[in-house]
Order: sequence, then C-alpha cells, then structure tokens
Amino acid sequence: MDWNGIQRPGSVMGGHSYPGPQESLRLRRRPSNVADQSSPQFNWNPDQNGDETGPDLKALPLPMALKKSMRQVQQMKIPIVSRWQSWRMHKSKKLKGFRDGAGGALAYVALWRRVLHKIGGNFGGGVQSYFLFLRFLVVLNFLSFLLIASFVLIPSIVFQSQSFGNNNEVNISAGKEECTIYDPNPQGLVHFYTYFIDLLTGTGFMEYSYLFYGYYNNTVEIGNDFSYNIPLAYLLTAGFYFIFCLFCIVIRTGGAIRIAVKTGGKAVGGYSMLVFTGWDYGLQGGRAMQLKQNSIRYQLQVELEEERIKLKAASLTLAQIIGLYSLRAFLNLVVLTLIGAAFYGIFLATEFSQGYTGTDFLSLVVEYLPSIVITVANFLVPFLCDQIALLERHTPSTTVILALLRAVFLRLVSLGVLLFTLWSQITCRTVERGTCQLCGYNHALYPCWETRVGQEMYKLAMFDFITVIAVMILVEFPRRMVVDNCSWKLVKFVGRQEFVVPQNVLGLVYGQTVVWVGALFCPLLPVINTVKFIIIFYCKRITLFTNYRPANRTFRSTSSNIFFLVVLLFGWIMSCMTLIYSVAVIHPSMSCGPFRSLTMMWSVVPDSFYSLSDTTQDFLRYIGSQAFSVPLFTIACVALAYVAAMASVYGQSVSLLRAQLKLEGRDKKFLVKQIEELSSVSKSRGEDF
Amino acid sequence: MGTTASQLPKDLLSEYQELTFLTKQEILLAHKRFSELVAKEERSSNSLRVPMEKILTMPELKSNPFRKRICHVFSTSDMKDGSLTFEDFLDLLSAFSDSATLEIKSHYAFRIFDFDDDGTLDCRDLENLVNCLTGETDDTRLTPEEMRQLINNILEESDIDKDGTVNLSEFQHVISRSPDFVSSFKIVL
Repeated sequence: MDWNGIQRPGSVMGGHSYPGPQESLRLRRRPSNVADQSSPQFNWNPDQNGDETGPDLKALPLPMALKKSMRQVQQMKIPIVSRWQSWRMHKSKKLKGFRDGAGGALAYVALWRRVLHKIGGNFGGGVQSYFLFLRFLVVLNFLSFLLIASFVLIPSIVFQSQSFGNNNEVNISAGKEECTIYDPNPQGLVHFYTYFIDLLTGTGFMEYSYLFYGYYNNTVEIGNDFSYNIPLAYLLTAGFYFIFCLFCIVIRTGGAIRIAVKTGGKAVGGYSMLVFTGWDYGLQGGRAMQLKQNSIRYQLQVELEEERIKLKAASLTLAQIIGLYSLRAFLNLVVLTLIGAAFYGIFLATEFSQGYTGTDFLSLVVEYLPSIVITVANFLVPFLCDQIALLERHTPSTTVILALLRAVFLRLVSLGVLLFTLWSQITCRTVERGTCQLCGYNHALYPCWETRVGQEMYKLAMFDFITVIAVMILVEFPRRMVVDNCSWKLVKFVGRQEFVVPQNVLGLVYGQTVVWVGALFCPLLPVINTVKFIIIFYCKRITLFTNYRPANRTFRSTSSNIFFLVVLLFGWIMSCMTLIYSVAVIHPSMSCGPFRSLTMMWSVVPDSFYSLSDTTQDFLRYIGSQAFSVPLFTIACVALAYVAAMASVYGQSVSLLRAQLKLEGRDKKFLVKQIEELSSVSKSRGEDF
Repeated sequence: MGTTASQLPKDLLSEYQELTFLTKQEILLAHKRFSELVAKEERSSNSLRVPMEKILTMPELKSNPFRKRICHVFSTSDMKDGSLTFEDFLDLLSAFSDSATLEIKSHYAFRIFDFDDDGTLDCRDLENLVNCLTGETDDTRLTPEEMRQLINNILEESDIDKDGTVNLSEFQHVISRSPDFVSSFKIVL
C-alpha cells in the first residue's frame, strides 16, 4: 500500500496542494494514486526502496500527531528486518544520538554563541557575518599560536634555561666580524616614558625578547637519542603555519562556494529572492522589525529604480554614451592618481622614519609615521572614491562593488609598498651598493634586520588596534550623544552611524595580513593578534549595541563571504611572497637570530637533509622526483576530470528538470482546458435533452 | 500522556527528539517557555490549546509581521483560530530550527505566504506578502504602480510554467537558489 503524499479533496491542480490545518486526519490519510511531486512522499512499506529505516519523520511537514502514528507503524514493521539490519539500525540510531549529543555539547562550548545570536537578532545576518569572520580569525590565530609555541617557543625556553646550548659560536669568515655587532640592550638609566614608547614600538626592553626573531638562538641540541634543531624548527613551523592558514581559508571558502554554486549565479532574479527570502525570522523587538521593513522597502524601490535606469541607459544616444564613458574614464584616472599619491606618501614616510634616530617623544610619532600615513590614506582615499563613484552613474550594486575593490587594492598594496621600501633599504637598492658589500645586507642601518621588520609589523598591528579603540571613543560615542541629545535638523538627518560590513571586514583582513607578514620575524604576533581580535570583538559589540543603527542597505552575507575570503587569500599570497623572498633571497643577519651562520635561511633545510640516514634521503628524493610526481599529477587530473564531468551532468539534469516543469505546466493547462470543454459540452447536452 | 508542569516524561521526550529537529535541551526549553504561557492549574494537560493572542506575546514572535500566519499554519485546531498545543509549538520550532532541512523550511514558508490557503501564490497573496514585508501602513506601502511592476517581475522570474501563479515547486526552486534562506528562516528560543 503506497501512500503518496496528501491530496486535498476538491483541489483541481494536482501538483501543489498540502494539508490544510482544518482537515481531519481521516481525510488526509485518504490514499491517492495521483503522483504528487511537491508534497512529501511517505512510503508505508519500508523495505520496498531498500531503506530499512524508512523516511526521516523529522523531515515531513506534518503535524506531530500524524508523525506519531507513522512512527508507530514504522515500529511495528521493524521485526521484518533481519537481525543484521536491526543491529545496524540500532547502531546507527545510537551513533546519531551520540552525534546529536556531541553537537549540542559543542554548540555549548562554541565561542560567543549567545552573543552572535543576539547580534543576528538585532542587526541581521550581514553584521553577524562580520562577527563570525572575526571569530574565525580569533580561532585561527590561537591555533597558530599553539603551533608556534609548541615547536619554537617552548623548546627555546627549555634549552635556554638549561643553557647547554654550547654551539652558539658563529663561524664567521675573516673580515666580517663587524657584521656581528648588535647590542640591543639600552644603556644606563631610562626615563619612565621610554618604557611606554618601547611597549608601543617594540624597541628597548621589548626588542631582545622572545617577541622578536633576534632573540632566538641557533641551538642544535643533540642528545643520546634525541636531537632538536631550533633553526630548522623555526623555519618549518613558519612554513607549516602558512600552509595551515591556507588550509583553513580554503576549507571555509569551499563551504561558502558550495552554497553559492548550489544557488547557481543569477538564474533566478533578485525580486522573488528578496520577497520570498528577504525576511529575517530571527529578528526580535519592534525597532529591529521596523528597520528591516524599511530596509526591504528601500531595497525594492532601489531595484525597481535600477531597472528604470537600465531602461533609460538602453535608450541613450551614441553621443551620450560616449560622454558617459569618457566621464568614467576620467574619474578612474582621478582615482588612480589618488591611489598613486597615497602610495608615494607611504613610500616617503617609510624612508623618512627608517632614517630617523632619537629617543624622545617625537621619535614615537616618527616611528609610527608609516602606520599613520597608511591609516589616513586608507580612511581618506576610499571616502573620496565613494564620492567619485556616485558621479560615475553606475547602478547602485556596481557602485558598492567598485568602491570595495578600490579599497581592497589600496589596503593590500599600501602594505606592499611599505614592505618594498623596507626591503629596498635592507638590500641597499636606494643607497650606494658599497654599504651592503661586506655583510650582504645593510648592516649599518639594520644590525638585525629581521627584528626590525618584525617591529614594523608589530607597530602596524598595534596602531591598527589603537585606531579602532580611538575611533570608538573619540568618534562613535560622541556622535551618538550628539545625535541623541540634539534636535537640529542637520544632526537628525545625519543620524546614528550604520555598521558598514565590507569596510570593517577589510580592516580585519588587513590586520591578519600584517600578522602573516610579520609571523616569521615576530613569532608571538599571532597571540598578540588573538588578544587584539578578542578585545576588538567586545569593543565592536559594545559600540554596535550603543552607537549603531541597522544599515539601510541589507547585505547579502553569502556572496560577500566568498569575497572576504578571497581578499583574505590575496593577503595570504602577498605575505607568502614576502616570506619566500626573505627566506630564499636575502642574507640573514649575522648578529642575531637562529640563522646567523647561514648565507640564507633556506640553507638549513638542505643541511639537515644531508645529515639524515641514507634510506630516508633516498625516500625523500623519490618523493621529490618525477617518478613520484608524474603519476600523482596524472591521478589528480583524472580525479579532476571526473568531478568536472559530474558537475556538468548535474547542471544538465537541472536544466532538464526545468524544462520538464515547464512541460508539466503546459500539460496541466491543456488538461484543465479539456475538462472545461468536456463539462460544457456535457452540460449543453444535458440542456438539449 | 501525563506531563507534569516541570518536566516531560522521558519516553515522550525521546519521541519528540526523534520526530523533530530539536535537541533535548531545546525541547526542554520550549516546554518551559510554553508552560509559562499557561495558567498554573491548567498545566497538567498535554493537549491544551493556547490561544493565538497568548502565543503572540512571546518576544520571538511578537515583532514578526507573519506571526498570525505562522500560528495559523502550525495550528491543528478545528476552529481555525490559530491556537497551538505544545506539539504544534514543537512542530513550529522544529521547522524554524537550525538543523531543519531546506525542503521543510521552504514548504512551511510557502504555506505561510499562501494567505488564502488555496495552494498557490497568486497576485493577491504576493501583494499581501509584499505589504507584510514593507509594513502595512499607508506611508510604508509601495505605490500601486511599484507594486504592479514588482509583482509582474516576480511572476516573470519565478512562474516557470506561466500560469499566473507561483506553485510550491516553483517556490522551492527559487528558495533552493537562495543561500541565505536557511539561516534567515530561523526562530530560536
């Protein structure tokens, strides 16, 4: 006996009915032979489709009483199954129960669950996605710290405290003694405020500590059955750290992309999407609801407006089109000039601050000059770009994307410019080459250049943090107070701030990129960043609830999630390039750090490779050889081709199903027409008789 | 089904766990919240109906523009008054829970949007729906011209078989392409 879903009595359209609440159970159970695709199907006979557990009752859109009776039927059927099956069922049920329990426990442990829920309830999914991203970064940084601590930090501390690192001496070839001069510890009495400055800039007492590269030793510990090579551990940990981060990002991107691919581009337009799925049912409170309604109305109006603009644009004359495009080209040029000017400013500031020496308070400002210039540029230029974008007369959605892309470009490349300036000074690109002849790097200016780069990144991270806090205290709170307590029309018009998700996320991505760049030179930067992001989380939460109002423009969280992760990936690639460059090209400092006796950091890997046993060497050689890589490549290609074929087949079946749906609709119309005709014919016949 | 005021019997609880997408904690919390709506002396009965007005005082539903439709859809009352028993309430929470499937969510969403309960979304349903989304008052509504344009656009996009209404499978087709739906169609106590 097949029970093919539920059929409403008197419903003409077979395909789309569902049980109304008013119908009695008896009526709903009426068996029907009409195949019904849309309502849920329930197969009373469990072993007919080979699925011994039957359908998942949870997933049936039926009232509880009905589900209960179905369950009873299912339970009565169970004795039919074999012992093996029942054991399997029992086991799967138990496993499921365990999984549910574990999931519940995990959700309980999950960081900031209630807070995130509350944020989502008051500000919608877009703002929530920012906080979820922040949480992801916190966890990522913390795990990275654990990695670095367990392989580099703790061994270093242990060896240092036992101080049997007796192979500290460096074999320096004659004439290079000068290169080993490095005295980071400050002399004599220092003022109290110097400590403060040191804390902010990572100099003085901070410089020669576990915080920075320079403090780590090149200890190679060889015991009876134990050997630990700190330089090798240092390098491999850094490399593994990068791979680990890439892995995390790719997994997260994969999840986001899977959803986006499933939803497949723009096959279905925005209006139905907005109307059918626009409401956020998690919202609580009258104010949030009103704002959401406003935002939906605004969005609908904007989209309708956009359509009208497009229609208008299609009817433009050639001259008007040329005018518009030349205007856009000109404005793009202006934007490029602005960005270029910002880069030049960063370049100049970095050069100036690197050349400056002094210990008074002014030096703090000079030390922070590159950070300040970067932050100001990142604040000013996107602001101007936004204004310019308004003139370009793109559609609103394009405007947002354009502004974002420009901001991303500026953020990441400004960091790149800073690094480039530093690198060119370290390798004497700007001064005459003679200074670098002796040591292979600019020893006069940078006795321990790795520590210096680490300090630079430390300062950037600190300044980023300080800016967030300062903006919160000096701008957001006063603005809220003025808006709430002042009744001027202008002030009312400006209103409370909106939480702009993209800009905030870009700030996070920038902070994370800085950490990646600095991780090799300042191994504790991930833990500093963890603390920083946790504090930012709480600060942002406080200011979100007190100072902000929900945004007018809602924000599609999923598609932009991919965008954020791709931007993060760009940051990763950039920092990876600096890592590779500094590991494989630049001469490491001779006066400090784990690689002081080597000509480049990478040499530690071949050195330790040759110290391995012959069989291991052969094995590793085989892994690196073509005999291994070619088959691997082939297998990967085959797997890829298989996946691609599957994807295309699925795409085809989707389009087939669409066509089928269309056909069925036509069939249905045809049938309805026939019924009408027949009934009218029979009626007229009845009248005839 | 002797339910005490403070807790559910164990077998019933496990049955609910099997029949809904809710975890044990969520069912217990739901029971607690539901009991708070009921007067103390009435708590003993499990098939007790709570009138819609009382259900709608819960903060999770209070500000939802579809609150009445939600109650009507999940109510099994013969009176069509939107009153809920505890089991109806669990059905509601299950459909709106985190782990509910897209299919069941979209099914109930369709029924919520089908204001006249006739099994399809026609122009009047869509108009009601848009009004709920933008606010019911005169100054928050779209203009008739905008409304007409909007409904035409919606039908153009999602009415695949061109019969002038959106049916369940067409609706589910749209929903299945919206990544944010599962996360936004969610009410958690």
